[in-house]
Amino acid sequence: MEFLWDGLRRAIDLLLSGDDEVLDIVWVTLRMAFWSTLLALLVGLPLGLLLGLARFRGRGGALALVNAGMGLPPVVVGLVVALLLFRGAPLGGLNLLYTLDGVILAQAMLAFPIVAALTASAVQSLPDGLLEQARAFGASRTAVAVLALREARVGVLAATIAAAGSAFAEVGAVVLVGGNIEGQTQTLASAVLVRVSAGEYGTAIALGILLLGLVLLLAGALTAIQQRQPRTVLGRPS
Amino acid sequence: MTEPIPQHDPTNARGRSVASEPTPRHDPTDARGETFASEPLLEARGLAATRAGTPVVHGVDLTLRRGDVLAVLGPNGAGKSTLLAVLAGLIPPAAGAVVRHGRVAAALQAPALANRSSRANVEAALAWWGVPRRARRERALSALRTMGADHLQGRRAAGLSGGEARRVHLARALALEADILLLDEPFAGLDSPTRADLLDDSAAALTDPRRATVVVIHDRAEAWAIADNVLIMLDGRPAAAGPVRQVLEAPPTPEVAAFVGFSGRLEQADGALRMLKPGHSTLDPTGDVAAIVARRVPVEDGVRLELTLPNGRLQALSPLPGPDPGESVRLRLEPGVTFAAPGQRTATDTPLHC
Repeated sequence: MEFLWDGLRRAIDLLLSGDDEVLDIVWVTLRMAFWSTLLALLVGLPLGLLLGLARFRGRGGALALVNAGMGLPPVVVGLVVALLLFRGAPLGGLNLLYTLDGVILAQAMLAFPIVAALTASAVQSLPDGLLEQARAFGASRTAVAVLALREARVGVLAATIAAAGSAFAEVGAVVLVGGNIEGQTQTLASAVLVRVSAGEYGTAIALGILLLGLVLLLAGALTAIQQRQPRTVLGRPS
Repeated sequence: MTEPIPQHDPTNARGRSVASEPTPRHDPTDARGETFASEPLLEARGLAATRAGTPVVHGVDLTLRRGDVLAVLGPNGAGKSTLLAVLAGLIPPAAGAVVRHGRVAAALQAPALANRSSRANVEAALAWWGVPRRARRERALSALRTMGADHLQGRRAAGLSGGEARRVHLARALALEADILLLDEPFAGLDSPTRADLLDDSAAALTDPRRATVVVIHDRAEAWAIADNVLIMLDGRPAAAGPVRQVLEAPPTPEVAAFVGFSGRLEQADGALRMLKPGHSTLDPTGDVAAIVARRVPVEDGVRLELTLPNGRLQALSPLPGPDPGESVRLRLEPGVTFAAPGQRTATDTPLHC
């Protein structure tokens, strides 16, 4: 237990001292999480709406795919993305290997099925007739999609929280695609990995505590947005 | 919205080809004082529809002009809601055609309000309809006032009672000022005092002379209150159509008669079938018809008697206490309706039009 206390002390020291190295890691982590979540939302929300609302051939199969995608092993995704980005590979020309942009791409690939699957299930559980009624009042497809997102906002924000959480937590793709380069592609999670391998448990725990703090802060903020609307839970006044 | 739906079934004998010249799109915001009473707003020809592959509506023809209010009546599962959805363009017809000369708004059966305030719900419907932002608030408030729901404007949909949600739902349908308004059971699922209040408040608003209105209803009393014409659907087919009084008081077939409340059946000597409503039979010691009381059912303000006669059965209403089962009574009967040869004349023999 000694090293836990040690780690805590070390974490407080690191935070208070404003260590440049740690601030770099935090900054890389935040940029990576922000852009990869945004990318995942840009792809995942329309896909989730399509899978949840439209009726077309192969919809069941596509839903099964994104549902399976929620459990994608990060190491495998990292490996595939890295192989594609190697010099001479199909995407080698993009020069993304061992860059933060490459990490963002890999993390977004991990997160977008989560967004799509959770969004699809959220809009599918909207009350019967809500969207059909909007159509019957002349709503366009876009207006119906906006209404669906708005009414399913609790589920859609849960999808966002899950996507951002995965961006913070994953290491497999970061290490394989980004190379875990300090100051460039090293995130809090992958930094913990390095410190543990080097036997620096105190620093590892300090970084881990920082990571947990960030995740809590983010989840708290999104939960506050999610729960902002007063919801009638117990019956309705007659 | 205004283009005719193409004829899907070219072999349909009734569905004549539909003129496809473009009709001017009605701007929902312009002043629509001018009325062309003779110009049909909504027409259906040989309309058929399926739900999940099962045919549920067949052979519906109708024409509605400005100011017309048509009530569609029928038992559960008669295809009323499906007919409405096809008229609204929400499901494509399996055969026949719908022609709409104007914009259609349909208020479906479930109020299905979004989780926002009542006013925001009406304003959202106006936005979908294409009303500019600056005009929405005024129109939303005015529609809520018309439905006696302006005091609910700030309340969230989740906090409304069933009757209040219905009022807001109807307000958003009225706010659109559609040329053609389709309402699916606007008073469904309400207790009778709430239903009566809502019917009183909405009857005038629902019968707007600038609009053609189709109302699916469950209860005959509502047809009397709202509609000029009624279409009775039985088993997915139009079984009777015409002015409310004519159809409800002189139904064309025994099936329709039974549906509109002619529950008593007497076989006549010549094989004809005479059908009567409970109100057509009055207990009278000097009456010329004898019957035996089979059953006695307490109802509001008295009892309903199930009566057995040598040639059939009747119902009669009596004040309390009324005769007991097994007693012989004498009746005075009003004519009711008589069908020359029961079951011979059916709705499909005579094309219906309303």
